[in-house]
Amino acid sequence: MENTIQSATTNQLDVKFQMRPGATAAEITLKPGQKLTAEGGAMIAKSMAIQMTTSTQQKKSGGIIKGLKRLVSGENFFLNHYVAPAEGGKLWLGATHIGDMEQKELHGENLIIQGGSFVACTENVSIDASWQGFKNLVSKESLFWVKASGHGTVIFNSFGAIYKLEVDGEHIVDTGHIVAFEETLAFTLTKAGKSWVSSVLGGEGLVCKFKGKGIVWVQSHNSSSFGSTLGPQLKPR
Amino acid sequence: MNVKIEANPAFAYLDIELAPGETIVSEADAMATMSSELDMTAKFNGGFFQGISRKLLGGESMFVNHFTNNTSKSLKLTLTQATPGDMECKVLNNETYCLEGGAYVASEPGIKLGLRWAGFGSFIAREGLFKLIVKGTGKVYFGAYGGIVEREVKGEYIVDSGHLVGYEKDMQLKPKLSNGIIGSITSGEGFVTKVTGNGKIYLQTRNLSGLASWVNRHL
Amino acid sequence: MEAIHTTEGFDFKFDCKPDYGFLTVKIPNGKKIKVEAAAMASMDTNLEMKTKFKGGFKRFLSGESLFINEFTAKNGNAEIQIAPAAPGDIDHVYLNNQTIYLQNTAFVASGDEVQVDTKWQGFTKGFFSGENFFLIKCSGKGDLWFNSYGGIIPIDIDGDYVVDTGHIVAFTEDLTYTINRIGGYKSLFFSGEGLVCNFKGKGRVWIQTRKINPFVSWVHPFRPKKNNN
Repeated sequence: MENTIQSATTNQLDVKFQMRPGATAAEITLKPGQKLTAEGGAMIAKSMAIQMTTSTQQKKSGGIIKGLKRLVSGENFFLNHYVAPAEGGKLWLGATHIGDMEQKELHGENLIIQGGSFVACTENVSIDASWQGFKNLVSKESLFWVKASGHGTVIFNSFGAIYKLEVDGEHIVDTGHIVAFEETLAFTLTKAGKSWVSSVLGGEGLVCKFKGKGIVWVQSHNSSSFGSTLGPQLKPR
Repeated sequence: MNVKIEANPAFAYLDIELAPGETIVSEADAMATMSSELDMTAKFNGGFFQGISRKLLGGESMFVNHFTNNTSKSLKLTLTQATPGDMECKVLNNETYCLEGGAYVASEPGIKLGLRWAGFGSFIAREGLFKLIVKGTGKVYFGAYGGIVEREVKGEYIVDSGHLVGYEKDMQLKPKLSNGIIGSITSGEGFVTKVTGNGKIYLQTRNLSGLASWVNRHL
Repeated sequence: MEAIHTTEGFDFKFDCKPDYGFLTVKIPNGKKIKVEAAAMASMDTNLEMKTKFKGGFKRFLSGESLFINEFTAKNGNAEIQIAPAAPGDIDHVYLNNQTIYLQNTAFVASGDEVQVDTKWQGFTKGFFSGENFFLIKCSGKGDLWFNSYGGIIPIDIDGDYVVDTGHIVAFTEDLTYTINRIGGYKSLFFSGEGLVCNFKGKGRVWIQTRKINPFVSWVHPFRPKKNNN
């Protein structure tokens, strides 16, 4: 249920994930003066003395263009910046969907996160929308992905439980199940079955084939499938 | 074949390892990840007419997917369902078992899917004219929206429509109004199902129409 | 499965916490409990159901009403299983002449002697919070079960604490609160955080790890199109 990660360096976040994997919340203990940038709308609760400001960009980089790019990637246009007071403080973050969260420490490498799954990052991590080529158009999910790079902690969320898939060679992942992947991996869109007919009749359609060596974070469930199952029972829009 | 139900009850999925020569059958669109060396073929389950009738009469998908390991090493596959929730495994030994529509996830090749007449009462209660049955020998994996709890029935028991997932083939299901005509509307309970018989039933701890009405209250 | 609790009130058990909390209550012969309308999942055939309506007609029109079904065991003990509509957690408190405020969809069930009432929050608090922020006031003596969207986390407050209005499930009456904006004016409109609840005092607030509004926005494209004829 709980997952405590002790921080070794000052830039690492003290994050405890609660209520995994059903509706995970991140319980973050900020050190005095520590800064965190989070997706708009992610805050559940906080100590009174933690300060919050809102902007279209991260403190050091980008600007309105970055905000616009994040918007098309399914993230919020605005980011919220939290600063802990001298005594430190507690901040709780949630997500739009029911599901899990993961954290990853970046040491200069790049992580590609599906649009809508970015939750928060520490000061020296930069996030930017990432165009993954025309194959984005075919995926039912979002057009852009979020690229996280730099040094520090990044937190992302999923629809469903998250499991790590260590790819060494080739592996197939359904398009609706990718949460994040290391940039050392390349992917192409392909058919799941032996033939196109089988892929279409079997309801799988197009899938992603990952190649190379690296980790893919997979979500157990597909939000579009769930939406299509629930949708017909809802009031017309 | 090594099949594990993971992340239950919140987001159950099947983590499967297929040995050389083995095959697992699944509901259409259930694959989340798979080894690129697995062979996937869409087939009518139980032949053309069964496939068509499942689609038209039972509201299920017409096709199922067969995943076969034709290599000489073991290969991996994960299967999921459209709704978040729990999964269970039922072992059949030349037996028949009843599942509510949409509950089927996957099965070993010795299991056949079919339909059974459910009666007009079931139709009036908007539960459909036909019920899904699984029969044969092997393991069947089925899923639910919400958690799955078991309940021992002795004699008779009331279950709210939409919460029943699986039951024994000899059990009688009768829809009835929960509390007269007016009471059934104001109480929000509407139709309930009276289960008669002895044995174990599986209930799901949420139901989709309940979720829909909760969302609709916020629209 | 968790074991049956024995309290001063009813024997009950929870299953599938915290993701799909499910409640089973044993009702002794002649006793009754109150259950949110439509939440009954299964029950013995010797339970009798009656529908009660809380809040009055005016409140019904403004959506701040609560239908409650009462289940009474006749001719012997009986069991009822209760499933809330929202995917999420369920929790229990035994009220000992105390008062707890619940967010408007959080009521699941209670003992017969618990008073259940709706409480209008006043124009300022209710309107600007962006939530349908009428509260359910539960007081008296007996069991109270309530539910959430997402997991429930209790936070004991001594001093002050800020909670997003959409994440409040319940709180004890000894806390006072004000609805405020967070950050500067830019944050009010663009932070996505809307308004928050500043709690003060010494007491407990139960928060939920998800809120309904983002889910409602997400589900929008999956809804059927309106037929314009």
